[in-house]
Amino acid sequence: MAISAKNIPKIDSSELKELTEKLLTACHILDHEGVTDGYGHISVRVPNADAFITIANVSPGCVTRDRLIMQDLDGNHLDGAKTPPNEWPIHSCILKARPEIVSVAHTHSKWSTIFSVLPIKLKPMHHYGKFLSADGPPVYEGVGLVRTVERGEELTAALGKGPVVLMRAHGDAVVGESVEQVIERTTRLAMLGEWNHLALLHGEPKYLTADELKVYNDDQRFPMRGWEYYVSRLEGKR
Amino acid sequence: MSESQNIPAFDSSDLKELKQKLLDGCHILDREGITDSFGHVSLRIPGADAFLTIAGVSPGCATIDRMILLNLEGRYLGGDKNAPYEWPIHACILKARPDVMSVCHTHSKWSALFSVLKGGLKPIHMYAKFLPVAGPPIYPAAGLIGTLERGMALAGSLKDSAAVLLRAHGDAVVGASLEQAIQRTIQLAFLGELAHMAIAHGEPLYMSADELTTFSGDPAFPARPWEYYLSRIRERRSLDSPRTGA
Repeated sequence: MAISAKNIPKIDSSELKELTEKLLTACHILDHEGVTDGYGHISVRVPNADAFITIANVSPGCVTRDRLIMQDLDGNHLDGAKTPPNEWPIHSCILKARPEIVSVAHTHSKWSTIFSVLPIKLKPMHHYGKFLSADGPPVYEGVGLVRTVERGEELTAALGKGPVVLMRAHGDAVVGESVEQVIERTTRLAMLGEWNHLALLHGEPKYLTADELKVYNDDQRFPMRGWEYYVSRLEGKR
Repeated sequence: MSESQNIPAFDSSDLKELKQKLLDGCHILDREGITDSFGHVSLRIPGADAFLTIAGVSPGCATIDRMILLNLEGRYLGGDKNAPYEWPIHACILKARPDVMSVCHTHSKWSALFSVLKGGLKPIHMYAKFLPVAGPPIYPAAGLIGTLERGMALAGSLKDSAAVLLRAHGDAVVGASLEQAIQRTIQLAFLGELAHMAIAHGEPLYMSADELTTFSGDPAFPARPWEYYLSRIRERRSLDSPRTGA
C-alpha cells in the first residue's frame, strides 16, 4: 500500500540518502562505461510510495545531488529540482505498470540503437544475456520522444513483462528490481550488442537456446559482482 | 604427490611471492581489457596438490586479502572463504595437466566471439605459435563450470592444448608459468581481434603447421612482455600504495 503523498520523505532527507547516492553513482557508471552521452536518465522508485526520483534534465555524466527531482507516477512535481527530463513518462508509466520494478534506465546506447533499426534481432550469444529471452528484446516502433503518458503507455506495452525494450532509432529502456541490476543489465546489453555485431559479420552465430539460457539462470550462485567493479572504475584508477 | 601437511599455510611467508605474482597477473588482465567484473587466475603451489586463486572478486578489484587456497578436489585450505563459483576449471585442469602451473579463465570478447562462430580462431600471426593450426578447441556445453563433472569435461576438451574456448562464455588458457598463461591470454585476445578484422576482408592466409613450428622452435623468441605488462600497471600501484600503507 503506497503511503500518501504528504508522507513521502523529502528528496534530501537522511531516509533517502543511500538511495539518491546510489542513483548518482549509477548515472556516473553509465557515463564512465560509455553507454550514455549528453542524454539518458535513470530512475529509482521511492520505497512504498507512488513516486520516483530521477535526474533533472542533465546528462548522467554531469548529474549532482542538487539536480535530482522527485515526481509522482502521474508526473506531478513533488520535490527537488524543477526541470523534469523530457521523457519522464518512460519512468512513470513503466513503474506504474510493473510494481516489481524498482529502477528504470533509458539510454541512447549505440548498440541498442543499431539493433533497433536492423531486421536482425539482438539475441543472447553469451551468458551475459541470460536475462533476455532467446529471441532477444522487443522493439518499440513508435517515432518521437516519449514525452506523453500515451506514448509512455505504448512503450510499456511493448516492454511487456520483459527486462528490456529497444526503441527504434532512439535507444533502449531497461528495468530491474534494483539499481544495481539495472546497471548490470544496461552495460551487459551494450556488450551483447557489440558482440552480436562482431559475430554477425561472420554469418549466423550459434546463439544460446532457451534451454541453454535456463541452465545459466538455474545457476543460483551466479554472483552480481558488477557493481563493485564498476564503482572501482569510477575511482580514477582505471 | 605431497600430502596436505606439506602445503604452506595461507599466511606463511612461503606464499608471499606467489600471491604478489597472482595479484600482478589479475591486475594485468584488467589493465589490458581482457577481464571485466568476472574472470580468475590460478597458480599451483609448487610440489603440492593445491592452488591459489582470487576469492569471488573481479581480477581488477583483487587484493592480497581476497585470495583463497584450495586443493585439487576443491577443499578449502585457507584465505578468504569465498571460492570462485568456477573453481573446478582450475582444479580439474591442474589435476589433468601436471605440466601446467597456472590457468586463466576470462570472458574475453574475442574468445567469446570465436566460441560461437563456425570457422575457428586460426593462426594468422606468429603470436599464435602456442595454438594448433585449426585454432583452439571449443567446449560446447552451456552452463557455468560449477561442478567437477563439468570441470573434467572442460579439461577433456582442452586435452593437451594451451587454450580452450568455452562456447557463449569465454576461454581457459594454461601455461607452464603464470607469466606464460597471462601472456597467452592477452595474445589470444590479440589474435582474435586480428582474425576478426582479417576475415572481414575475405579468407586470410592462415599459417601452416610447419610455419607455426618454425616460430615455436625458435629459441631466441624472448618472453619479454611480462616486464612490459607490469610497467602498464605501475600507475595503478602508485595509487594503491597510499591506501594499503605499503
